Amino acid sequence: MLRHIKAGVKRALGLHRPGRSLVILPDDVFLVSFPKSGNTWTRFLLGNLMFPDQPATFANIHRLIPDPTGTSKKDFEQMPRPRIIKSHDCFDPRFPRVIYIVRDPRDVVVSQYHYHRKIRKIEDDSPIEKFVTRFLAGETCPHGSWGQNISTWLYTSEGSPRFLLLRYEDMLVDAARELNKVAAFLQIPVDAERIATAVRRSAADEMRKLEKSQAHLWSTTKSTRQDVPFVRAAKAGGWRTELPEEAALQLEAEWGHIMAHLGYELLSPAGTTNPDSRFVETILNGPSR
Amino acid sequence: MYSVKRLMKNALGLDIAGRMLAVRPDDTFIVSYPRSGNSWTRFLVANLLHPEQPVTFANIEDMVPDAEALSSRRLRALPSPRVIKSHSYFDHRFPRVIYIVRDPRDVALSYYDFSRKYRHFDDSYPLERYIGDFVGGRLTSADWGTWAENVASWAFARGARPGFLLLRYEDMKARPEQELTRVAEFFGIEASPERLQTILERSSAKRMRDLEKTQGKDWVSTKNKRDDIPFVRTAVAGEWKSKLPPELVAVIESAWGNIMVQLGYELVTRNTDSTQMQWTAPLEAGSLPQR
Repeated sequence: MLRHIKAGVKRALGLHRPGRSLVILPDDVFLVSFPKSGNTWTRFLLGNLMFPDQPATFANIHRLIPDPTGTSKKDFEQMPRPRIIKSHDCFDPRFPRVIYIVRDPRDVVVSQYHYHRKIRKIEDDSPIEKFVTRFLAGETCPHGSWGQNISTWLYTSEGSPRFLLLRYEDMLVDAARELNKVAAFLQIPVDAERIATAVRRSAADEMRKLEKSQAHLWSTTKSTRQDVPFVRAAKAGGWRTELPEEAALQLEAEWGHIMAHLGYELLSPAGTTNPDSRFVETILNGPSR
Repeated sequence: MYSVKRLMKNALGLDIAGRMLAVRPDDTFIVSYPRSGNSWTRFLVANLLHPEQPVTFANIEDMVPDAEALSSRRLRALPSPRVIKSHSYFDHRFPRVIYIVRDPRDVALSYYDFSRKYRHFDDSYPLERYIGDFVGGRLTSADWGTWAENVASWAFARGARPGFLLLRYEDMKARPEQELTRVAEFFGIEASPERLQTILERSSAKRMRDLEKTQGKDWVSTKNKRDDIPFVRTAVAGEWKSKLPPELVAVIESAWGNIMVQLGYELVTRNTDSTQMQWTAPLEAGSLPQR
């Protein structure tokens, strides 16, 4: 009962988080990714690009690049437009413009494994193989599987002028170049210095420093293990040493065709298994033929 | 602004479930873009699962309820396992899904009539303008995404994996027993030819039309709508060939040609320049079997 009253008062004051009931404005831009794909880094990059007067920190990021599940309705309403909104959702036709960050799922699974240790969902000695099985089934986070999340966006939106696809790996190689693409997509005039400043302020080392002093302030990290960092390696290809080959092959067997399409080099020959191509046969041929 | 009415509705569970629906692990969903044979499939499935009582528009909402027309409370009250109807674009929470796809050229014609029935516009609204809205995602009820978005988000994300059954409306019309058998198998039911016939008869377009005449004014999806335009329409495949002008066929094919081909719909426009769907699909064209 008390919980309901508290929720009601919060709602009346606009302090609740809107979630799916967020009122989407026609000039909103959504920054979307599957979890652990560089979303927070990109959030910092865009926060620092859009708001050069207030460097992004873990204490203000929810107001610079808001999150419908982490930012209050009131803060949403007070934001300057166009708003850039963080999301992990699968395809949503209500999103007017989308920047989608994709990352090699072999690295994503390793990163998510460590994140689950941090949030105490698994023990330190929990085998990664077990985690990979759950990861494939989309059971490790409430946003579908990696393959579902990216597929729903690629097949509906790739090639659309309202959709910008960025690879985390490309951002690591040249963040300034990728940020220029974002600025062009958003149609905001920027100069090289503003881009360079945003990249510098969002560097992994800077974010690590901020995490040390602010982890207790940020809703995502505040009640998690402080001995496991949120900002982790910030590298590409860590899976080659951290992920057993068998597990990498399992991911490729399920999603190899999408990974190849995205330019991720496979251990196994491309296109060996493509469950999604079989459905066409299934519908065209009917039952058991 | 803070809405007291909405808060009250939520508190009483009178809000329409929609995407806020609490999904159960043993739920099965019948999903499609609107006007793609969803109601027919609902009748088929309900008649399959409830042989004791022929399905009508008066009892369909108890057997295969509509997530986007009924209240949260009503859906909560239904016993498990539920079979639920939806037009939603991809929702990863849906455990088991029967997805029906229909040729968008026929969907467009059907949706145009439906929109007049629902008074989204009046009879003078030009079909040409409507097709532009249809392809451009500017329909009054655009909550489902466009046809291509809805279809692609489901078909390619779930693919041929367990728990997902993809049906084509055209196949259901051409070989109903065979497709109904696949539906029965999806529910783990082995149906005899006699049982299949009974289900098909109880779900025939003629019977549904007759039922609509007497029950349409009370059914949640048709009440207070124009009754001079039927909800159960022609129920045929390929109407577009005679009814949709070639230049409008071209509009649809140029927008969605790629995905139509993937789903086995042959294009008639030459040199289709697919502007919206320029992706090189991870699905290689070579994987399509020869028909």
